[in-house]
Amino acid sequence: MKKNLKAIIQIIIMTVAMFALTAVSATHVSAADTSLQRVKQRGELIMVTSPDYPPYEFQVNKNGKDHIVGMDIDVAKKVAKDLHVKLVIKSMNFDSLLVAIQTGKADMAIGGINPTAARRQSVDFSKIYYTGGQSFLINSSDVNKYKSAKNLKGAKIGAQTGTLQYGLAKKKIPDATVKGMDKSTDLVLALKTHKIDALGIEKPSAEAYVKNDPSLKMISSGYSLNKNETGAAIAFKKGSNSLVNAVNKSIDQIQKKNLTDQYLASAGKYMKVNTVNTSMFHYWKYFAKGVEYTILISIVSTFFGVLIGVILALMRFSKQKWLRGLAISYTEFIRGTPLMVQVLFVYFGIGVVVNIPALISGMIAVSLNSGAYVAEIIRGGINSVAKGQTEAAASLGLSKGDLMRFVILPQAFKNIWPALGNEFISLIKESSIVSIIGVTDLIYQLNIVRADTYRGVMPIFVAMLLYFIMTFALTRVLNHFEGKMKHAG
Amino acid sequence: MQDKKVLEVNHLSKKFGNNEILKDINGTVKSGEVICVIGPSGAGKSTFLRCLNLLEKPTSGEVKFDGTDLTHVDEKQLINLRERMGMVFQSFNLFPNMTVIDNLKLAPIRVKHMKDDEAQKVAMHLLDRVGLAEKANAYPSSLSGGQQQRVAIARALAMNPEVMLFDEPTSALDPEMVGEVLEVMNELAKEGMTMVVVTHEMGFAKEVADEVWFMADGYILERNKPVELFDHPQNERAKDFIGKIIQNV
Ligand SMILES: Nc1ncnc2c1ncn2[C@@H]1O[C@H](COP(=O)(O)OP(=O)(O)O)[C@@H](O)[C@H]1O
Ligand SMILES: [Mg+2]
Repeated sequence: MKKNLKAIIQIIIMTVAMFALTAVSATHVSAADTSLQRVKQRGELIMVTSPDYPPYEFQVNKNGKDHIVGMDIDVAKKVAKDLHVKLVIKSMNFDSLLVAIQTGKADMAIGGINPTAARRQSVDFSKIYYTGGQSFLINSSDVNKYKSAKNLKGAKIGAQTGTLQYGLAKKKIPDATVKGMDKSTDLVLALKTHKIDALGIEKPSAEAYVKNDPSLKMISSGYSLNKNETGAAIAFKKGSNSLVNAVNKSIDQIQKKNLTDQYLASAGKYMKVNTVNTSMFHYWKYFAKGVEYTILISIVSTFFGVLIGVILALMRFSKQKWLRGLAISYTEFIRGTPLMVQVLFVYFGIGVVVNIPALISGMIAVSLNSGAYVAEIIRGGINSVAKGQTEAAASLGLSKGDLMRFVILPQAFKNIWPALGNEFISLIKESSIVSIIGVTDLIYQLNIVRADTYRGVMPIFVAMLLYFIMTFALTRVLNHFEGKMKHAG
Repeated sequence: MQDKKVLEVNHLSKKFGNNEILKDINGTVKSGEVICVIGPSGAGKSTFLRCLNLLEKPTSGEVKFDGTDLTHVDEKQLINLRERMGMVFQSFNLFPNMTVIDNLKLAPIRVKHMKDDEAQKVAMHLLDRVGLAEKANAYPSSLSGGQQQRVAIARALAMNPEVMLFDEPTSALDPEMVGEVLEVMNELAKEGMTMVVVTHEMGFAKEVADEVWFMADGYILERNKPVELFDHPQNERAKDFIGKIIQNV
């Protein structure tokens, strides 16, 4: 089931990317390579990464502030410094990294990305800056069972979806069942709870986990691979030769001076600091930030959702046939597509034409989505107001607008208040989907904390509690207003 | 000016699909006149009344109000003309989301652009007139049926209409509340309001109506002074119908 879902998500992302790409090639016919020039003019190098993959990139709290650190970040910093520009870091799901550069959301993507032949078809790569090698994590209790990768025949193997490890395990371990998940933290948890027998992961990451968790052990993958399948490179939008060449100069220096060793060592230091205090309370700021964004998105989206909903509902009662048709099509279309696709579409698809930041994209998508549902609820509410009300208002000479504003809508809202309340509550919960484009809502923060603490379950529990507190508080507020309206006849 | 025609209906017909409810209705209502309309259920009395202020669009024929044919005016003009006609419904149709006083003030403020304090004065005066001044700040749901209907009458009067249309204003009320509503209507008639009232209250009709119209089969089959029509109906259907309502009393 899970695998099917993942496959669908992959297809969705690909489709959005294809659409976006078509739009790009349509708008920029035979564009000259201005990639380097643009970065220099802007004075900023925009980099996108998925900071849940220590020691490559991960998030830490330093002096009360969030930082994304890791070997890749140091590589990117060096590149930016050599180009004499500022480095801007954006974060999002690993699945979305390549789409982000294809659609121009960032100049480059970094994240332990292996420059495989398949990937080279859709993006350009820099030279390889680091060669890590593949390995497997296993439970310490299984060291005798899985002495080497050869023993993994027929085992259940986990790997991050969209990664090389996933494909390799499928291809190279005979009779293995490969289970894909989004987050390496989820995979480690699956391993520790014996849902999987081994976890395909890059060597540096595996080493980091082993260092921090005595119940885990690492074994070599035993794969014989070419360099493109083991090394990490930086990805760029196709046709960015000038930028790629400039970046390659920095990578040459990194290689020559073996800077990655130094970078890895400093990443390791952060990781040590990180495991000293893994109590959830220590991370309250992460959760607070997540709650703050979740609430912000929910409030903004509720407001615009209701606004859009009212407009759509009124369009449904318009005399103009085309307005009715438009409202019906919109509602049907939104209700017939997953919120996740809409979020991706707004961010990547529309983002091709106008560049909208992730947070705003998330709000737009959730508002547009909620609007369609609210419209249906309001339409039901309007229909539930007795016909006599319209006639009485008409007989008094009230205009259609006044009839709606003073007579119909207030009554409709009272009738639909419970249904609207449900919609607001589900909005809080469903807004969590915006984490896929890197909005730092509660779900996103939760994953950061999990990656940071190597604790799988506790952060989930905390997030669950926080969601419940939010929805419960909202329920109380809604009940309060419902009571008030009951009083008013 | 006593003979001024307020309403004039010529060859009015109304079809719902293929169902012709009103076939050929003709009649005139002069200023200050009270017309009572009676007839069996389903005869089209409500439809007729609603055609008078174009809540229902006639299929053909003319409905002239103060000389203007309502069937040939645009939406905006129609709204302007409609505000000069008050209507009271069988089921009151007060706005449940507003207090009594706000029910009265809404149209004067929004349609006539009256100032709030002026609308307040007009509304309080009318509530006093229907004996409900102390209910000004109550919500309709806390009032009895009779009280609600009196508020509905006051609400229509707040627009200072030239004619009032009543569609069975007492038939949804408990018997003990019919009197208080009829009393208000009675006073209104005596003050010279032009009224078209669909009702089966013979006592009321006999006391205030200038004419009673008996409607059936899509036509007005008989019209006469109330005493004549109730005591000596000529038309067979009218005889039959009046016989039945007398039995019921
Ligand atoms: N909007 C409508 N659509 C279809 N038929 C209607 C509509 N309004 C009324 N009718 C029909 O017209 C007939 C007359 O209704 P009505 O005018 O309410 O009669 P009355 O008020 O004399 O009892 C009834 O048979 C009713 O079903
Ligand atoms: Mg009727």
